[in-house]
Amino acid sequence: MAEEPRGPEKKEQQGSELGTPARHMQEAMPYISAVWKMVGGAVVGVLGGLLMDRWLGTKPWGLVGLSVVGISVGFYGFLHEMARLGKKK
Amino acid sequence: MRKAMVLFAGLFASSVLAASPPAEGEKEDVPAYILHHVADSPEIEIEIPGSYEHIAIHLPQILIPLKEGACAPQMTDHGETHPGLLAGCLDLSITKHTVMMFLAALLLVGSLLIWSNRDKSKLVPRGVGANLFEMLVVFVRDELAVKNIGKEEAPRYTPYLLTVFFFILFMNMLGLFPWMATATGNVAVTAALALCTFVLTQIAGIRAAGLGGYLAHLTGGVHWLLWPIMIPVEILGLFTKPFALTMRLFANMLAGHIVIFFLLGLIFMMGSAAVGIVAVPFAMGIYFLELFVAFVQAYVFTLLSALFIGMSVAMGHHHDHGHAEEHGHKEGGASHDHGKAHFVGS
Repeated sequence: MAEEPRGPEKKEQQGSELGTPARHMQEAMPYISAVWKMVGGAVVGVLGGLLMDRWLGTKPWGLVGLSVVGISVGFYGFLHEMARLGKKK
Repeated sequence: MRKAMVLFAGLFASSVLAASPPAEGEKEDVPAYILHHVADSPEIEIEIPGSYEHIAIHLPQILIPLKEGACAPQMTDHGETHPGLLAGCLDLSITKHTVMMFLAALLLVGSLLIWSNRDKSKLVPRGVGANLFEMLVVFVRDELAVKNIGKEEAPRYTPYLLTVFFFILFMNMLGLFPWMATATGNVAVTAALALCTFVLTQIAGIRAAGLGGYLAHLTGGVHWLLWPIMIPVEILGLFTKPFALTMRLFANMLAGHIVIFFLLGLIFMMGSAAVGIVAVPFAMGIYFLELFVAFVQAYVFTLLSALFIGMSVAMGHHHDHGHAEEHGHKEGGASHDHGKAHFVGS
């Protein structure tokens, strides 16, 4: 009698049981994640800057500063994720 | 002391309102009529065919003041209103869409009790209703749950997916009957359903990767100095999918009904019954399309819920492969590159 796969092997087998859309979606997720980091960084930076200006009265420096930081971090997150995926391949 | 005060105004009191017919030459305000009929309201209007009269069933108003006197009525240009939640008044009033949700739930439970195969000695269901339900249940289990979550984890989430599928289906279908309303055409209802999927998705993620792994994914795998930006980005990303679920179901259900109303409204806007020769068949066509959309939207919501849960479950799969070194898990925790690949926004 064939031995039941266990641990990672079992999970691997489970992954192969997934439907095509689910498999494709899971394969695409790292790339979606990378893009979200870039977009989300800019969004968080701009929103954070606007809030900072409103609360601290630093208009427009909070918006300018945090936008630059947010875009930079988002871009770094994107490159970091892409580098990791490249290494994995 | 906070004293909970529950106000029941006009508990299911019904009255026949006599609406006056439009004056000669006066055009009907079709957009206002349509918006009034698709929007939620504190009363259910039952129009009497062939007359301008309708029965209005007033629903109970339940206001719970979180602060003393917070729910005191205020007089505005639009009549008597009550302050909102921000002012400390929690409004739990029963509305038209709430009634439709209760009704959908009752019909669902009732039909399942009638048509579920309760006789365990006979495995093959008999009758159209029992076979129809079994077909739908097996479809949700095999085509949606197993194919998106995996055979091992699917049984855990199938009951939720079945509940969501049938509940949305029944709510969608109810709106196609005269005097009824579509609860899924209310953004609050779809948001609540999406919130359920969101909570379950997070639970699936925590179960699969453990609390530590789940929290580590929220850091985005970057240096800790960048966390103040990256953590809000990841948290924001968590809400994109429930937001998409909310808006897609709400917009699809609302749009279909507005199109039907507008096609019929053309008769009144043009002021000629001859327009009905074109408008009524078109409205009928859209109505049958809506029948199909009722199934499609229930299916899509369930499919996406299963897909998101499956992606969260895959996060644990990712961790099981022992990619710790590959993802830069170093001793001392200086680097937190967890490769959150499978989890963003889920």
